[in-house]
Amino acid sequence: MDVLSQLVGSGVALGMIYAVIAFGYQLTFATSRTLNFGQGEALMLGALVGLSLVGHMSYWLILPLVLLFGAFQGIVVERLGVRPALKIKSEFGWIMSTIALGIIFKNLAENIWGHDQLSFPSPLPQHPFSFFGIRMLPMQVMVIGGALLIMLAVEIFNRRSIYGKAIVATSNDRDAAGLMGINTNLVITFSYALSSMTAAFAGVLVAPITLAGAEMGAVLGLKAFAVAIIGGLNSGIGAIVGGIMLGLAETLTAYYVSTGYKDVPGLVLLLIVLAIKPAGLFGKAAIKKV
Amino acid sequence: MHNTLKAMIAALAVCTTAAFAAEPIKIGVSGPFTGGSAPMGVSMRDGVRLAAEEINKAGGVLGRQIKLIERDDEAKNERGVQVSQELINREQVVATLGFINTGVSLAGQRFYEQAKIPVINNVATGSIVTQQFLPPQFPDNYIFRSSANDSIQAEMIAEEAVDKRGFKKVAILADSTNYGQLGRDDLVKALARRGLKAVAEEKFNIGDVDMTAQLLRAKEAGAQVILTYGIGPELAHIANGMATLGWKVPMVGSWTLSMSNFIDNAGKNGNGARMPQTFIEVPANTPKRKAFVAAYHKAYHVDRIPSPVSAAQGYDSMYLMAAAIKQAGSTDGVKIREALESLKAPIAGVIKTYSHPYTHANHEAINKADVVMGEVKDGRVVYAYPADEKKAPK
Repeated sequence: MDVLSQLVGSGVALGMIYAVIAFGYQLTFATSRTLNFGQGEALMLGALVGLSLVGHMSYWLILPLVLLFGAFQGIVVERLGVRPALKIKSEFGWIMSTIALGIIFKNLAENIWGHDQLSFPSPLPQHPFSFFGIRMLPMQVMVIGGALLIMLAVEIFNRRSIYGKAIVATSNDRDAAGLMGINTNLVITFSYALSSMTAAFAGVLVAPITLAGAEMGAVLGLKAFAVAIIGGLNSGIGAIVGGIMLGLAETLTAYYVSTGYKDVPGLVLLLIVLAIKPAGLFGKAAIKKV
Repeated sequence: MHNTLKAMIAALAVCTTAAFAAEPIKIGVSGPFTGGSAPMGVSMRDGVRLAAEEINKAGGVLGRQIKLIERDDEAKNERGVQVSQELINREQVVATLGFINTGVSLAGQRFYEQAKIPVINNVATGSIVTQQFLPPQFPDNYIFRSSANDSIQAEMIAEEAVDKRGFKKVAILADSTNYGQLGRDDLVKALARRGLKAVAEEKFNIGDVDMTAQLLRAKEAGAQVILTYGIGPELAHIANGMATLGWKVPMVGSWTLSMSNFIDNAGKNGNGARMPQTFIEVPANTPKRKAFVAAYHKAYHVDRIPSPVSAAQGYDSMYLMAAAIKQAGSTDGVKIREALESLKAPIAGVIKTYSHPYTHANHEAINKADVVMGEVKDGRVVYAYPADEKKAPK
């Protein structure tokens, strides 16, 4: 029982790392039906920019700066990679361009910060504490809290503010929203800014646990993508549930089956979801009219 | 007029022959300069560069300068194959130094064997690296090594954990690459020689950030010590994961526990980890080692070599290859191999002075006697046993 609760604790903490990145995929998909395949790289850039700043000021002060940087980076991705594709109504152009931008960002980071994995100073004490027999680092709890917080903030923004309503309207029907006087292009740009902002935030959040480096985005970005698909691309709660499911699947399989097979159940889960409920566990099936 | 033309042609001919004679000797350098293995690749490359510069300053080899052709194999097997083909076919190198990752080495070096171009593996440690091309199938083996292979390392790890420190219940944590899995096999064999079987054998992937399950399995099996075969970042997650779980047992593992990205990222959780080392940066205990460390620090503006072992082995491999080319009196691959297998003059290296390091049957320059046990202590690797420090290398 002690082991099980520890595994569940670690699985949830790991799953929330995936969830907060997966959330970024959802934000852009909602408004523009496009995904930023450089999401992992946005996370990486956030973490590395944070790492450069952390020498000069406290961790809490760098958060707003990293968020600002993330928003800017998202705008760059949207302007360079996504808008040209949307303009010519290209179905797949944005896939290649966001992947390409992701590679460029990775190379850029390798030139600026080097190739090594760097340790990110933890803002919280490094001593683990015990919570109902689950031993955790304070930082892991902060990841869980931070992930929930940012999703909550985005949901409230979407539901309560007029700008958020513009996003929801664009997400429901871009053409109708445009006719109602909403500048849908701006909304899409904004959603990219928001998406990269959450990724950058996730970067500084997870870096004290995962280490920061140009390569950190690759594996995390891919797993988060699986989470976004499992949970559904248009459901915030789906990202959390999907993340936790994948995190638990990994740690539980690793312990009870074999550490060599730990990635298998997550992928099997992905295949099952795609076969039975292609829109994801919490996604609304989109009817594509032709 | 006629005579002037003749003179010009003659002068031109002299010029081209002179230029041909001074054409540099191309030596390939293949290693990962990016990714988790980069500290090893970059240190190895810088060690090779340092040696090549010294040799060139002293007049080069056969009156020609050495030119290094460096390529990043990214620690990827398929990329290693491309690099090998490029170095052999396009750059037409005389010999190659490098290969950090056992998998890349196994994938890439068959092309050198086919082209009869000698290779010194100066970091890759997989036991089968030098055993791929043996007689009778292959009459001559072009693959040499100047690092401590995994048979030596696994034996030393088992000796340290079982014989010296008396642990009976051991767990093995190895990554899923060729390096980790071949190393695990060697560890299993070394334990079997002592009548032991690991209580847990766990795997992890490159890029994994959570080791809870692996550690819990080892803990529940009652492991008293963890034996590792992996690279820096993931090893750091193991050390940090143990601290999170509040479970502290000693870590003994392959030499990669000396990588800067393990030491830095594990911080105090890495203290006490022990690993076999061919070279320890501080304290440098011979004049040759002192000079090497000082030269490295000065040339690359660091006060700590990212991977001292890789740098030292890279440096020595360049001198071994240069000595062989000199003895062969030619840049022909077959002749260089024959020279390597019968090196006459002793070669003063950083790790040791090599006298007859290779024979036709033995392509391993490093023996168990050349390797010491290192220990991580406050951000550096020191001698685990002070007696080793005083014992000067032969």
